[in-house]
Amino acid sequence: MSASGTIEGAARREPHVPESTIGRKPDYLHAESTLRSWFFTTDHKRIAILYLTSITGFFVIGALAAGVVRLALIVPNGAIMTNDTYNKAFTIHGVVMVWFFLIPSIPATFGNFLIPLMIGAKDLAFPKLNLTSWYVFMGGALFTLVAVVLGGVDTGWTFYAPLSTAFSNSWVLPALIGVTIVGFSSILTGLNFVVTIHTMRAPGMTWFKLPIFVWAHYATSLIFLLATPVITTALVLLIAERAFHVGVFDPAFGGDPVLFQHLFWFYSHPAVYIMVLPGMGVISEIVPAFARKKLFGYRFVAYASIGLASVTFFVWGHHMFVNGQSDLASLVFSALSFAVAVPSAVKVYNWTATIHKGSLRLDTPMLYAMGYIGLFVLGGLTGLYLATLAINQHIHATYFVVAHFHYIMVGGTVLAFLGGLHFWWPKFTGRMYSEPWGRVSAVLIFLGFNVTFFPQFILGYLGMPRRYATYPPEFQLLNVLSSAGATILAAGYLFPMLYLVYSLWFGRKAPANPWDARGLEWETASPPPTLNFERPPEVPRIPYDYPIQATEAKDQHR
Amino acid sequence: MSEGLAEGVGVARAHQFETVAQQRQAATLGIWAWLITELLLFSALFLVALITRIEHPEATVAAARHLKFWIGATNTVVLLCSSLTMSMAIEFSRMGWQRAMVRALLATAALGSLFLVLKAYEYYADWEEHMMPFLAHRPFALEETPAARLFVNLYYVATGLHALHLFTGIALLLGMTWMAAKAGFLARHQNWIEVYGLYWHFIDLVWILAFPILYVVNRGP
Amino acid sequence: MKSPLARLSPGDRALLWRHLRTPVLTFLALLGLLGVIVALGATQPFAQAWIVELAVVALMVALILLVSMEVRREPPLIRLFSGIGFFWVCIMIGMTLTDYLAR
Repeated sequence: MSASGTIEGAARREPHVPESTIGRKPDYLHAESTLRSWFFTTDHKRIAILYLTSITGFFVIGALAAGVVRLALIVPNGAIMTNDTYNKAFTIHGVVMVWFFLIPSIPATFGNFLIPLMIGAKDLAFPKLNLTSWYVFMGGALFTLVAVVLGGVDTGWTFYAPLSTAFSNSWVLPALIGVTIVGFSSILTGLNFVVTIHTMRAPGMTWFKLPIFVWAHYATSLIFLLATPVITTALVLLIAERAFHVGVFDPAFGGDPVLFQHLFWFYSHPAVYIMVLPGMGVISEIVPAFARKKLFGYRFVAYASIGLASVTFFVWGHHMFVNGQSDLASLVFSALSFAVAVPSAVKVYNWTATIHKGSLRLDTPMLYAMGYIGLFVLGGLTGLYLATLAINQHIHATYFVVAHFHYIMVGGTVLAFLGGLHFWWPKFTGRMYSEPWGRVSAVLIFLGFNVTFFPQFILGYLGMPRRYATYPPEFQLLNVLSSAGATILAAGYLFPMLYLVYSLWFGRKAPANPWDARGLEWETASPPPTLNFERPPEVPRIPYDYPIQATEAKDQHR
Repeated sequence: MSEGLAEGVGVARAHQFETVAQQRQAATLGIWAWLITELLLFSALFLVALITRIEHPEATVAAARHLKFWIGATNTVVLLCSSLTMSMAIEFSRMGWQRAMVRALLATAALGSLFLVLKAYEYYADWEEHMMPFLAHRPFALEETPAARLFVNLYYVATGLHALHLFTGIALLLGMTWMAAKAGFLARHQNWIEVYGLYWHFIDLVWILAFPILYVVNRGP
Repeated sequence: MKSPLARLSPGDRALLWRHLRTPVLTFLALLGLLGVIVALGATQPFAQAWIVELAVVALMVALILLVSMEVRREPPLIRLFSGIGFFWVCIMIGMTLTDYLAR
């Protein structure tokens, strides 16, 4: 523990006394200030900030498109905009949110910044590759934005053939190329994390002393490596078919579009865990810090991360129950899908067991974490409905599915992202944000989210299909409610953008460890120096060494 | 494999690593992680070949019998030779025989280029035989079996993607050879040769999978 | 070809052979296995030739991985990484076949 570690009791709630800076080397933010020093940096922390700013931009684009969709659905007859515009709006929303926000969100920003700090390393194993991955990301993003500016894409984020190859008259090709390129940036990031976690741990930092955040990112990185190349191939085949008529999916010649879906979902189902696992890592850091209690069942949470990353490769067919795949395949994929619930539940139970009899502080990050746990449970349980063959026939491709995955993606990942952003904001920037505003926004987002998406469960169950610009008039009340919720949600998103940016100049200086949290990232200054640690960090006896520790059946940290 | 290195051969430590051993381990693990992605990239295409065969057996066999079997076989031999020269380059780098290493690397690049030349000739022969169904103005030789297009198209995507890897590989190889010819290279970057060698061997391995899957097994009924 | 070799001292020649023995033998083995595949493919002696062909391919792949790429001399972690990709390919193909073989 550095200076603040010795402060106990109420004093830790007022962590606003800046630490002495005499004789300290400049931190990573102030070491150099030219544009060149940012755009050609190989410092993992600066690259994380580059990612953070760019994905925030994509989040705004994706959110605006969502706003357009919710605007269109206020009236049942599609009178507000043309059906074409509506199709393009939901496609842009999906493409940008999935590929340019959710997938890189937590790994490329927090993972990049924190993994070396948490394992006590100076940088990632391949710093230049790390910078390259950002440029590749921006290159792919450029193609996709070109597609949007030229007139948009209307295939949905899934690019199903033959719509995307033969029938769509929109700018599918640049969007496909953009998404293909972005895949390489994911692969490079995942590769860097895998190698870093294997080879760069500080002496004494054994696997079972690693924070769960690192375990979760290790599992995520394996998915990056094992799944992403398959969608690259699938997209290359689409590009070849659309651009050069070198097609293998074309039904006109006996090709099988379902095969595209197999390849697509072999990546895209595991991609759900690319989006979810890092969020679970964030929650596993926040919950112990604000319950003042050691993470319960550490080993089980760690194994559950690897378990989820493995099981997720066996369940992709549950996206394809009604497309004509064989009954045997549906049966196998359905049965295996239920297995996903086990490691997910292990995590949720261990977080709740950590909260149980902890000494709770409901600061902003913890509010987000609590919201996450609740919404993840709802999203996860509705997933079981969808994995059930008979019920799936009824609610397939309805708003029930839309609500389900938004509970996971927004209620889960976005809340974890915001929670983590607030938790580590002092570490990233050296400034404290406004706590009252933080709490107000967290509550607002939770409420806005539920008002937006809960009605969609009902709509879907009643039979409203997704991706249509029109719907029967009796669904209007619930749709208006959902759109109204979206405006609350938008306000909730807007506040952090304002007060966090404000804090960069006017926030109080943050101490090294404002939350009195455990983990090597809190042992160094806020913000950290360029090479992360002034002197080699000392690896703690056990991770999550908080004051309250429940007795467990087994030693979790051998 | 740091044991068995000649004197004056080694790796200069980069700042983010604590030891040279750690750096070597990271580089080897990194290239293997990359090779996993390469394997899955091509395996997805092999899966498409398998499904095409299952769904359209006759058309696939008809298409496969039109491929230039002997050019494919010759090209496989060319790549096996290039693997040998690559292995030799690695051994020379460990022995510290820099000139021999540079020559072995150049031989590897030459064999890789020979593969591409033969591949280009093969495409030309395909064109001559009307085996390019995607060309709007040129009738397809197997027009009466429409599903044959699927396998032929897959052949172009798979071999094209492999050729792209080989082309990139040759470009990287020539760039590295240019640096490797300079004095002191083996003292600072010997493991580049090893890491690159793994990539080259793996691209060969992908072809050794692609050749039977595309050209050979589907010749049989 | 002859002159550079002739200029080597006997010690160097021994060193050279010690280093190049494995690559050369591997190369010859791979050529031989390829010969089997090509012969089977060209003549199609029996209907199940494809099984033998694929078995020989598996042998070639194993040879390249273990010997040419020196996996047999690597620590367990690298061995794991060299195998995990193939395992995942099996998952991809196996699970997809539950669809296509049962339609």
